[in-house]
Amino acid sequence: MTETVSPRRLRVVFVLFACATLLLSLRVGYWQTIGRVDLLEGATDQVRSDLVVAAQRGAVRDRNGALLATTVPLLSLYALPKRVADHADAAARLAPILGTTSEAVRATLDSGAEWLYLRRRLPEESAKAIELLRIAGLGFETEPKRLYPNDTVGAHVLGFVNDDGVGQYGVEGAYDALLRGVPGRLVVERDPRDRELAIGLRTARAPVNGTDLTLTIDLVIQTALERELKAAMEKEKATGGSGVILDPRDGAILALASYPTYDPSAVAKADPQSLMDRATSWTYEPGSTMKPFTIAAALDQHVVTPNTTYVDKGCAVIGGRQLCNALGKVYGTSTVTQILEHSANAGAVFVAQKLGAEQLHAYLEAFGFGAKSGVDLTGEAAGDVRPLAEWYPVDLGTIAFGQGIAATPLQLAAAYAALANGGTLYRPYVVAARRDADGEHRTAPVAVRRPVSPETAAALRAMLIASVDNGIASGASVAHFSVAGKTGTAQIPSDDGRYLDDAYISSVAGFAPANDPRFVAVIVLERPQSKLLGTVTAMTAFRNIAQDALRSMRLQPDRP
Amino acid sequence: MIASQAVRAAPVRRAVHPRPRHAARATRRGARAVARRSGTTWEVRTFVAVSAAIAFVFVLAMLYLAQTTAVSARGYEAQRLEQSLNETRRQNALLEVENARLDAPARIDAEARKMGLVRLATIPVVQLEPLPVTTAKR
Repeated sequence: MTETVSPRRLRVVFVLFACATLLLSLRVGYWQTIGRVDLLEGATDQVRSDLVVAAQRGAVRDRNGALLATTVPLLSLYALPKRVADHADAAARLAPILGTTSEAVRATLDSGAEWLYLRRRLPEESAKAIELLRIAGLGFETEPKRLYPNDTVGAHVLGFVNDDGVGQYGVEGAYDALLRGVPGRLVVERDPRDRELAIGLRTARAPVNGTDLTLTIDLVIQTALERELKAAMEKEKATGGSGVILDPRDGAILALASYPTYDPSAVAKADPQSLMDRATSWTYEPGSTMKPFTIAAALDQHVVTPNTTYVDKGCAVIGGRQLCNALGKVYGTSTVTQILEHSANAGAVFVAQKLGAEQLHAYLEAFGFGAKSGVDLTGEAAGDVRPLAEWYPVDLGTIAFGQGIAATPLQLAAAYAALANGGTLYRPYVVAARRDADGEHRTAPVAVRRPVSPETAAALRAMLIASVDNGIASGASVAHFSVAGKTGTAQIPSDDGRYLDDAYISSVAGFAPANDPRFVAVIVLERPQSKLLGTVTAMTAFRNIAQDALRSMRLQPDRP
Repeated sequence: MIASQAVRAAPVRRAVHPRPRHAARATRRGARAVARRSGTTWEVRTFVAVSAAIAFVFVLAMLYLAQTTAVSARGYEAQRLEQSLNETRRQNALLEVENARLDAPARIDAEARKMGLVRLATIPVVQLEPLPVTTAKR
């Protein structure tokens, strides 16, 4: 006996199936038309990754190609704590490699985070040791790290890169836009193992790597400068110090140092005071190292000659005030050349009175004092040469020997370079060339102006040689080479406008070989312990630096 | 028997000459008869044709799949090589930094001091005696 299905039931079932089919068709139709975009986006989001491809920051090298700064991808250790089977065991094995306690590592793993960094930018040896442990749930990814192979050497020239990858201070700051490059973009589809699909979607815009820079810095001379400056600082227990070495032929900075200093790889640990570049951002009253410019102005204006004589009575009266030589010395009848040899303040006042305030002011400006030199480093100070209208009569006298005026060590070095090279003031610069995809672009030296004639510059060179050979700057002499130079012991102004009695700034400025100068050096020590004798230490530093520089440059001796 | 063979062979011999319509119909009927005798019906022929088409498409699909898989495999291989290249470049950069560290004048200076070497107080200059003037003699 067979059961028959009633036609009515069949019709109902048919209608139900027909309705279901219709609904499904409509739904499919919706997803294929109106909802297609959403569906597609949802699907592609699961397999597509859109990444910013970081550009490689440009490297920095010295004039001979020695590496000063570069960016290297280092390995950062991350953890997926849920996948680490035994937190205590993992912490105990990791702690000695990471240089921390197992409790600290355990606490990090137990923090409840899904994903976390255990240590960022590991040293290569540590990363290899951790890799050998083969702990499940740990992994590495690369992160760029700026490295400075010479540690603290050249820190103030180079500057540093902060955690956000932005260059600050020095060359890193001044040339950040060039060094940083332009990041690229990569859109790819990935498989479940996070590998790029070879036949999937791929849109790429390649990053433009940062420009490589070649500096004018000579690493050998830079190292010598920092070594001698540090030794002088430690000997004198000075509170600060700075040094600049320039090539007088074009204004290229061969070395630049500032103390206290810092390690650009570990800026977080640095004293904020140490970040200041005292060679370019700090001003001081230069003292007697300014006398050559007073005399140069007077020679250029033909109001005196190197052999013009005056009677030195130990003090000079100007503007109703008496300005005396250091230690109250009296030199009697002296020539203008001997003013530099003795560093006679009264003599400088005599020359300034012959010259006049207006001319002295004009020459100081012409030598670049009171304005930024335009060096390609961040944070340069302009110094201070007050407007002529604000000068008191006594200012003509004090400024003649370097008080009542403020300058940076770099400005002083640039001005001495003008005397050394025959009278042309060059803009100091530190980037010799930059190299990008278009090739190398060299920096052209900039001659700013000619403050004095070549004849005046030559006369000053001879007077400064005499200052080293016969005068107060004899400690700066170098055997078998002619050296020109001048010392300076400046008082430090106090907050009430007077000068401190027991604190000085000792400095020396000079160049060698004096007959064909290849470098100008300025060394400054702040508050040396030996006070007035701080210049002796500064001269020793100058001599040692000069010897290293002359040796490094392989120059032939110009004296027997 | 011989006569019937002669009849079957006759159309082949006449193929070079025009034939009347009734002769062509007779030929098709003859062919069907042959097919019936050999067992190849139109269903079989259709089946064979469709199977051949499916097999052709299958082969094409397999070829495409093989090619795609090969491209994909090459892609993964390229990625692996790229990763290897990047790691080599990274190691090279680290070595360059290490080289720069070892070449640093400050490090060499410190090592020299450890070895007891002393910096020269002055730059040594070797004064050469002028060469004696000699005349050529025969």
